[in-house]
Parts: sequence; structure tokens; C-alpha cells
Amino acid sequence: MKTLNANPGAAIRALLFLAVLGAAPNQLSASPRALAQDDEASEDDADGNEKEKDADTWFAITNADVYTGTGAVLRGATILAKNGVIDEIGYDLFLPDATETLDAMGMRVYPGLVAMGATSSLSGGGLTSADADDIEHLDPHFGLDDPMRGDEIDAHVSPDHDDDESFGDYDESDSELTATIADVERIEDSFDPFGQALVLALATGITTAEQSGAAVKLKRGEIKGMVVNTDHLAGFGWSVSNPASIRKTREDFAGASQYLREHGAWDELDKDAKKETKEPSKPKNFDAAAYDVLTGKKLARFSADDREDLSGIATFAQRYGFRPVIFGCREGWTVASELGRAGAYALLTPRERSPKSELLVRAGGSSIENAAILHEHGVQVAIRPANTGFGSSMSGITGRDLLSLPVEAAFGVRGGLPEDAAIAAISLVPARLLGAADRIGTLEPGKDLDAIVTDGDLLHYETFVQWAIVSGKVVYDKQDEVYFAHIRPRPEPPQAPEPEATDDGGDDQEPAVDDAGVDEDASDDEEPTADDEATDDDDESEDDRRAA
Amino acid sequence: MILQTLTAGLLAFSTTPNTDDLVAIRVGKAETISNGTLEHAVIVVENGKIIAVGEDLPIERGIPIIDRPDWVATPGFVNCHSRIGMDGQNGMSFDPELKASSELYARQDLWQKVLETGETTIGIYPEGTGIPGQAVAIRPHGDSASDMIVQDSVYLKINLQSSPSSKKMVRDAFEKVDKHDEKVAKEREKWEKEQEKKKKKSKSKKDDDKKDADKEAAASDTKEDDGPDHFVAPEPDDNVVPFIALRKKELSALMSITKAADYLHLLDALSEEDIEWTLHAPLVGDRRNRQDIDLYEVADKVGEAERRVVFTSHMTLQIGTRRDRNLPAEFAAAGAQIVLLPRLDTVDAHASWIHDVGYLVASGLDRDAALAAMTLEAARGLGLEERVGSLDAGKDANIVLWNGDPFEPQTRIQAVMLEGEFVYGEVR
Repeated sequence: MKTLNANPGAAIRALLFLAVLGAAPNQLSASPRALAQDDEASEDDADGNEKEKDADTWFAITNADVYTGTGAVLRGATILAKNGVIDEIGYDLFLPDATETLDAMGMRVYPGLVAMGATSSLSGGGLTSADADDIEHLDPHFGLDDPMRGDEIDAHVSPDHDDDESFGDYDESDSELTATIADVERIEDSFDPFGQALVLALATGITTAEQSGAAVKLKRGEIKGMVVNTDHLAGFGWSVSNPASIRKTREDFAGASQYLREHGAWDELDKDAKKETKEPSKPKNFDAAAYDVLTGKKLARFSADDREDLSGIATFAQRYGFRPVIFGCREGWTVASELGRAGAYALLTPRERSPKSELLVRAGGSSIENAAILHEHGVQVAIRPANTGFGSSMSGITGRDLLSLPVEAAFGVRGGLPEDAAIAAISLVPARLLGAADRIGTLEPGKDLDAIVTDGDLLHYETFVQWAIVSGKVVYDKQDEVYFAHIRPRPEPPQAPEPEATDDGGDDQEPAVDDAGVDEDASDDEEPTADDEATDDDDESEDDRRAA
Repeated sequence: MILQTLTAGLLAFSTTPNTDDLVAIRVGKAETISNGTLEHAVIVVENGKIIAVGEDLPIERGIPIIDRPDWVATPGFVNCHSRIGMDGQNGMSFDPELKASSELYARQDLWQKVLETGETTIGIYPEGTGIPGQAVAIRPHGDSASDMIVQDSVYLKINLQSSPSSKKMVRDAFEKVDKHDEKVAKEREKWEKEQEKKKKKSKSKKDDDKKDADKEAAASDTKEDDGPDHFVAPEPDDNVVPFIALRKKELSALMSITKAADYLHLLDALSEEDIEWTLHAPLVGDRRNRQDIDLYEVADKVGEAERRVVFTSHMTLQIGTRRDRNLPAEFAAAGAQIVLLPRLDTVDAHASWIHDVGYLVASGLDRDAALAAMTLEAARGLGLEERVGSLDAGKDANIVLWNGDPFEPQTRIQAVMLEGEFVYGEVR
């Protein structure tokens, strides 16, 4: 109860809260395992088991400027999380006993960043990109003499089947990646929670990384509960240079849509009619992925850079009424209004540099303004760097790989992208692409407390991530990291300004009361009853009143 | 108190002082491991066993004495994880029923060289990834493989990695045991029903044929004898047997891992199993032979569990830096039971084992823990702590005699006694 102030309302609230809480002798002793469970599981346990209920873990970041990612900025606010899930964000929050507090005075708090296409380098613990080809595909100088090369940029999403993948093969690749418990286990069973790439990712501000289509939270020291969602993106081909890919996609959607229509009509029949009419069967080459897209279970992912392809995809998506996700989207700025009408998502790299073919007259090639123009036209822009490895490309200012994700977003701002959109482009929008936006991407009550505390503007290249928090647990503290502690060491936290005498008095007296409470709890083997707590609290509120 | 019991022991055998096998070794110092360091120690050996150890024990007349007041005695070293003297074989395998003892080959000059390094007990493990089989404890001396074996099936070696397939292998192995248990339970039920039927039958028979009871009864008895009169469980598959033994704690496991994450995955894979196991972590890098071992990340957890951990005698580096880390020391300080191995599995590396451990001691490893790591703790890893690993009455007389403190670089081994017999060194 570090922030109990003289406000009698707060004191009463505190009282009520404690009564509700019941006896929670030492919540700090909660096992890390309990934390690892996702909220549902621990909720269940809490219902069934009194002990588990006592193990509620509270964590708070105080005094920080909170950039929630929803547009709001709360200066000097507090974020309180219960069992890793944000409980409340605001001012003068009541912090339950045994709340672990992180004082971020003078710092900023942002939602943890979400890195698309991080491949398996994180879970495997390696420091290089799992698909080293990426760097070639996206190197600004690499494709200069080969304008068609862009069509092949597809390797980053599914490194397992890249090189010889023709666009007609999407069925196969997708059937491999169906969201199942087995998928989650596969990731969990090979997760390296001590990997060095993981530390570097956290240092960059990344708290969730996409790995072969799954959203994986970068938990440290734990091997459970890090997978938020798997396989939310279904890949489809669309390339004018490969007409077969377009035909295949059209067929898939036509088939799925027809089935959906027929089955929908059949569903609406009453019981008797249903018996008489035959249930429509799936067409011969029924595409489950297209069906999932049409029913809203998945997002359709295209890899396209060429304006012909982009406008083709936009038209096609509008016809079937789904929102396409376009990886690459280099020439998106030339057809931004079409993409905007289609409600497209774009995953792009602001620093990409590839001039258009000299044979063409029309506008084309990459543009620094790409992200800005797309955003202006209503396209949801997600950003990723040129290389999705870690420390594998240090060329240019602050590198061109995942170590510089915020800098990449800053280059979007350089091209005119609003700052909040740039931050959303590396947090909320990728979270949506991974189907994980209900749990991560912004700081809102009900979502996981996956946050980073920075010592400055996230988009400034000199800014350091001071702490990273995943599921309400500090997983990265710059001062404890062998790689980072010595670089511009964190200054001592400034002394809290003391605006009012009342607060002052309260502060002086609180610790003594707190200590007494803790001692009592420690010496008492029995769980203190609600009465005990209540009397404790009475004392405290009396103290407060006296102080007032 | 020790002294008292020891003198009592001496008195007891003083009636037959002229046994040839009886010998007393008097040295300046003895590292008993179990009872600390004894000054002016006397070790009395009879019939291959140590029968008394103490400070300044009176030695009965007539008992031959080896008197070396400058020397230091330690127990023979126990190396619980080695492939010395074995051929290589590789490949991913699941052969828990295989035994390293079947590979043993006695007639090699190498064994004498191994003895000269002070190692008197060696745990030979079966090679291969996955679950390659069971280890055997040997003495590096003997004319045949069976002469060399101290005890077979000392532990089951399991290599575990942070991968779904590796974890599945372990889980599946125990699942097989579950299936076998189910099968046994079903068979037992069946058998019990049959027995009831038989009882009823024999009863009714007896009621019916009371007159010519003798013959018929005899006949029926013999009939019943045809079937077993107690339940015989179906034989489990060969590759299930070791896991049944694990569950019954008749066998322990040696879990080999290479990085910190493996430990968490190991705990996860074993979550529901209550078995005895030792952790084994060779401190050489898993990739490109860099010493990038991140095991310090789990030192606290391993220490808290007071787990026995087998390391090679290496200093390692903090990953990404050139900072030394002394993992054996860190784990020992955290509460783990440390077992050490030579740096490499060659005779030369075995010979410099004490030197390498000395370096770890110089960099912070507790000296007693280091000595125990080469002897008693290693013996515990093999389940042989009742026989070897310390200088205690009742244990095998495996004694190494040094001309000074073993950890001093200029100290050399002067003699090695294996089960009461000097196998190296001139002492008489």
C-alpha cells in the first residue's frame, strides 16, 4: 500500500478492496509457474483452489508517461497488472499489498513491439536469421539488375518451404500449418528462454515475435504459455508474371464462396426441408484456407510489390469482401486509394530502396513516403526491417535488421507517417496480422501487460529500452544485461518531487506500518483472517487521517 | 569416536596379525573425503578392503607397514562418465536395453595407463544420441571383461535436447511403461477370474466324487499344477524394462543436456515422473565448439533442487564475452552436488584431470567439493557409494598415494592401490 494517500475515498476503497481480497499473506511468494499460466488457466485455478487464489500476482509500473498505443498519453500514470493482465491504467490507483512496483519516473511506457517474420532464430537461440536469403532479397543493391526478383520475395514467412515453392503449391504449405495444440507444443517444446537473440530482441523493445505464423511472446526463463496464436495468415499467390498463381487463387475463392453460399442457403432451411435436400458437399478442389478467409477465421496474405499485382489484389479482395494482407507492397503508394478502399493491410519496409524498371513510364519503385501515403488512404501499415535476423545486418545507420525495428518505423515518420501510426505499425497492426490483438499490441485493461519502458521517444535512435515486461514480469533490465549495462548507464532515478506536505507525512509513516504488517504475516503461520486485515487497515487509515 | 571404533577394529584382528593380505599404510595426510583430512593417517587394508582409518593408529606388531610420512593418500578417483578404451559409434537411437558392458574389451595396454592416472573406478557409458543404453562401472584392471566389471547397469543414459522429438522420446518411453502396467493389470484380472472358476470347479468335483476321492483329487491337483499356482506377469519388451526399473528406482538415469533451456525442457518432459536422475552437462559448446554455455541461467534452480550435476573440468565463458565463468563453482555454491570429469576423454586428459580441477579450485571452487566431485559424489552417481569413493572402513581399498598435496602442480602420483593390490608404483 505504497500509494495510499490522504483521500478518504481512496482509503475506503482500499478497505473494501482488502475485504474482497481476503487474506493474502504474502503474494510475492507466488511461484513463477503460476505466472506462466495464461489468464484463463489461473482464473480457473483461482476458482477451484483457495491457495491459488492467494497467489494473485500484482505488478505495477508507476510515475511513467504511458503511451497506450490507442492514442492516449497519460503523463505520470500508473499501470497495474494482475497475474500478467492489465487491471487498470490511471492515476492514484490503489496498489494491493505486495504489489511489485517498477518506478519509471521520467521514463515512457509503450506497448511491447511485435516483430513480424522473426523466424526461428529466437526460439533456436541463434543470432542469425534462419533464412539467410532474406538479406539478399531485400538488400537495396541486390535486386538492381534483376527487376523481376521482387516477385520471389516470399521466403520470409515460411522459411520451411521457400526456394522451390511455386505459387500453385499453397494448398500444401498451408495444410502443414494448421492452428492446433500440436503447433503450440511444437513451439513450446523447442523454445529457448535463455537465447541470446531473445535478449537482443527484448533490448530492441520486441516482446512478441512471429515465428512461422505464430505469435510468440518472448518470455524469459519459462517454457510455457508463450504462444498467443498460431497460423492466422493464409498465403495466396498473385503475380501477373505467373498467371497460374492468379488463376489458382481465383479458383480457390470461387469454390469456397460457392460452397459457403450453398451451405448457407441449406442452413437456413427448416428441419423437414433439410432432410429432403441434400447437404451441399464441398467442391472437388475445395480450399480450406480460402474458406477460412471468407468466414473471417484467417487473413489472406499476399506477397506483392508490383502495382499491377497490388491493384489486382485490391479489386479481387473487394469482390469477395475480405481485407487482404500484403507483404512487401513496394509500389503501394501508386495505388494507395485502391488498397485503402479494399481495407488492406500492408507490411512494408520504409528504408527499402529499389528503383522502378527504366522501361516503364508510370510511377513505380520504392518510396520513402510509401507508408505515409498508404496510411493516409486508410491502409493499415505494419513495418518490419529489411532483414528479420538479429545482428545479421549492421549496414547503414543502426543496422537494417530486427535490432533496429523502432528505427525502421522512424524512417516511416521521415516519409510523413504520423508518429502514432508508426508506433502502431510495430505494435498493434502486426498484432492484428497475427490475430493476437485481443491480448497484445496496446496497453489497455484486459490485455496482457507486455510493455517496454524507454528513456526517451521510442522512435529516436538514441533511445534505450530500460525495462521490458512480458505478462507483468520484468524480463529485461538494461542494468543487469552484460551487453548493455555499460552503455550510457541508467542515471539514478530522480527524487520524487514532494508537492504536498500530506503526501510527505504519509510516505514517512507508511513504511513503518508496512513493515509491521509484513512481520506479522511472516511470524503468523496461519493465514491472517479478514478481520486482521481490516484492523490493520483501520490503523493505517487512522495514520493517514492523523497525517492529514 | 572414530578412533575408538578403529582401535576396537584393530584389536579384533590382532589375533591373526600374520595374514599376508594385511597391510598398513602410514602417510602424512589422508583425504578421507567422508571425514575430512586426517594428519598422520594410518590406513589398514585387508583382503582388498579398508578395515581401519585413523590418525596415529597403533599398528600391531607383525603387520607390514608402508611408511611414507611425506605422502598424501586420497581415494582412487571415480570417473562416472567415460568412453575410454571403447570404440566409437554414433547415430540417433532408442536402445535403452543395450549395455555398455557388452562392448568392454580387457586386453589393452591402455587400462594400465588409466590406472596410472589414479582412476580406479570408471563408468563406461554407451555412445549415441537419444537413449543409447545403460552404463557399466568397471575397474581398469583384469584379464577379461567380466573381471573388470564392478557393477553393470549403473545408470541409463538419456540425451535430451530442447526439441519436440527429444521430449517425445522420453514421454513415450514412460507411456510404454504405463501401457505395460495396464496389460499386466488386465492379465492379472483374467488370471484371478480363472482361479475362481477353477476353485469352484474343484469344489464341485470334490462334492460329486467323494467316493473315489483319492485318485480324482490327485488328478485334479495335477491338473491345477499345470497352470501356474501364482500369477505370472507377461514379460515386458526389452526396451521397456529399463524404464520400469527407473520408476521402481532400481535404476537411475543420467540426463545429458547442453544448454540451460534443455534443463527446463527436461523438467517438463519428466513432469509426472518420480525417478532418480543425475544431470550431465559437458562444458563444451554445442555449436562450433565455442564455450558458450548458458547453464548459469539455471544454476539457482538446479541448486535449489540439490541436484547432482556432472560437469567436465572446464572454465567457460559468459556468452558473447571473454569473461570467465566457473560453472562448477557456481553450481556448488548454489547447492548442487558437483561431480567432475576430465576435460576430454583421452588418457592425457585423464592424467591432467587433477590439474584441471585444481584450476577450478584456484578460481573459486571449494576444495573439499572438488575432491568429492572426483570421488564420492561420482561414486554416488554410479550408485557405488557403499563401495568406493572415500577412505572408510569397509570400502574397497582403492587408494592413490601422492608425494604432496594433489592440487599442487609439481605433485605426482607415487602409487595406486586397487582393491588392496598395488597396480602402479614402487612401494616396498
